[in-house]
Amino acid sequence: MFLLPAALFLGLFSLYPLVQLVRMAVSQVTAATLNADWVFTGLDNVRRGFETGQTGPAISRTLVFVVVVTVLGMLVGFGAAIALRTTGRWSAWLLALMVFVWALPPVVNGSVWKFLLNDAGLLNTVLLSTGLRETPVPFLYDQHWALFSVAFVNAFAVIPFNTLVFRAALMTIDPEVFEAAQLDGASKWQQIRHIMVPSVRPTTLVLLILTLVYGFRSFDFIYVMTYGGPGTATNTLPFLGYLQAFVRYDYGLGAATSALAVVGVLVLAVVYARSIKREEADG
Amino acid sequence: MNARRTSLIALAAAGALGLAACSGGTSAGGGGGSTSGSGGEGDGVVTVWHYFSDPNQVALMDAYKEKFESENDATVENVYVPYDQMNSKLVSAAGAGTGPDVVVFNGADAATLALGGVLAPLDEQWADFADADQFPDSVLHSVDDQLYAVQGYVNLLGLWYNQDILDEIGVEPPTTMAELEDAMAAAKDAGYGGITLSGLPQSQGEWQAYPWITDAGFDYENPDADALAAGFERVRGWVDNGWLTQEAVTWDQTVPFQQFAAGKTAFAQNGNWQIGTAESDADFAYGVVPLPLGDTGGVYLGGEGEGIGAHADDPELAWEYLQSTYLDAKGQELAPDLVGSIPSRADTAQADVVTSNDLLDPFARTIADFGASYPATSIPPAAVADVQLTVGQAWSAVIGGQQTPQAAADQAVAALKSQIG
Repeated sequence: MFLLPAALFLGLFSLYPLVQLVRMAVSQVTAATLNADWVFTGLDNVRRGFETGQTGPAISRTLVFVVVVTVLGMLVGFGAAIALRTTGRWSAWLLALMVFVWALPPVVNGSVWKFLLNDAGLLNTVLLSTGLRETPVPFLYDQHWALFSVAFVNAFAVIPFNTLVFRAALMTIDPEVFEAAQLDGASKWQQIRHIMVPSVRPTTLVLLILTLVYGFRSFDFIYVMTYGGPGTATNTLPFLGYLQAFVRYDYGLGAATSALAVVGVLVLAVVYARSIKREEADG
Repeated sequence: MNARRTSLIALAAAGALGLAACSGGTSAGGGGGSTSGSGGEGDGVVTVWHYFSDPNQVALMDAYKEKFESENDATVENVYVPYDQMNSKLVSAAGAGTGPDVVVFNGADAATLALGGVLAPLDEQWADFADADQFPDSVLHSVDDQLYAVQGYVNLLGLWYNQDILDEIGVEPPTTMAELEDAMAAAKDAGYGGITLSGLPQSQGEWQAYPWITDAGFDYENPDADALAAGFERVRGWVDNGWLTQEAVTWDQTVPFQQFAAGKTAFAQNGNWQIGTAESDADFAYGVVPLPLGDTGGVYLGGEGEGIGAHADDPELAWEYLQSTYLDAKGQELAPDLVGSIPSRADTAQADVVTSNDLLDPFARTIADFGASYPATSIPPAAVADVQLTVGQAWSAVIGGQQTPQAAADQAVAALKSQIG
């Protein structure tokens, strides 16, 4: 009985749109037919996506993007959590700053980074004035740099969240464990390797999946910073789906592309659910 | 399919795609939309959806609001919708049976919006409109022989130049391509940028590419990869020579003009709508000449189309608004004054406010010499968005170095042939 509101909410705002997405993905839906009956076309939209040569490269770019976001997000997040494990004014101040960064709307965050990364932006100004570079780094307008730059900014946005979660996990470790390790002569690195890493392993798995899902959903920073360019160099699956559905008004094609991204997220969601279950059983 | 089910499906479709794509848009139909009327009375409020954020363009919207309200016992509510979200919001809203009374949209999207059920046909109103003969066919947007929108003014591209820089390097404003390229080379040698333009991989990029690719002999009626490659090759050469920054691929049309207004670049390929911005931001002498194109070159005659929403709660009041503002002779005189747009009415185009403006004259000459329908008439209505994205992405890929001009042209033309048929 008490589950009913939640079930209704999920059904209305998660399940129903998902069903419609799948329906749309297997139908011919354009601006002219969006509000009429949809003609079933099976997997024609998926086939068309691959035939136009857009879906395959978009999958590759999405995977590169996800790897960069996940590796940076996890490693830097864990490193920052270790650095901020102590309680004090500086760590409190830095944590507050991180929450601020995390809470920034992606459009604002992306616009600021676009400004920082342009030819006359802070990063290039520093690189040029210190003599490290003779020409500006083409962060957002070279096909290779652009994908990594946007992935980096995406990672930057997720690092605060990962740091907060890792830090919360680290704070549960009994301080006496560290004292004992110090008495035994364990170095900082050994404390990290043999105490902290094992202690946060369940959290790491959950966070890893959440970060992977976050990377898979990559859209807003690409929209703001490169619009998929130069050319199609930063067209990941979600952004390609957007272009197809909301720029070309081929809603069926866009839904098929988006469905591919959803499949990736769903697989990760299942892994996530299983890891949560296992963690609860272990706890 | 009943209205309720249609609404739910439209809402869900937008929601589903939005979830998958994480679109930053808000829900369809929100923000000032009027509910569908079934021929009932309106609320005395004309809701106008537009995508203007530039202060001068917003001032024009405010001036139209003021004019209409002073002449009628009604209220105008101007609602800003981001450009990139305008069409999808309109189509989704139409599916939910709602939408604005008046839509001010990119004229090139008229077919998309008409096919999406967003716009109401204007044939009856237009047949009774006394001043209809003042408007050339190029500003009337019809789909399947039905009129859906009219442009109150024309916007197009010209070549802005920084007179101070040209004086310093000792050249006159260019009238040929060779003169333009020589001037850009001289500007670069003097430590300035050559030209700014937009290389964004979408419709704005296609709009900016069109003069250069048509100058090289390309047209949409018989898309030729070699001609397209030749146009791309020329502009890529500008990047290779250091006259145009590759960073242009991240710029919409506003940013390159801001760069030009900063005074460090000799030329800008930009529109008449920047006249207000130039006046307020540029502290150097400047002027405009037509783009130095050859016989085949074309410049799109763009601008915003104005139409009545298919679900307007008071279409008659909406038509009154259009007659009082965008279609009115005095109303059209506000556009050149505030944003530098060229009135679409034949009589207003001859008004003092236009003929006494030196900056508008080159644009008027461009209309006569190079004016081209936007979108090209050979593109089927349903393929306009596809074509614009395809060429915009190819343009961006060439400027950004993702593809060679020939490879980008080959790929684009292969796609265009299936889109245009």
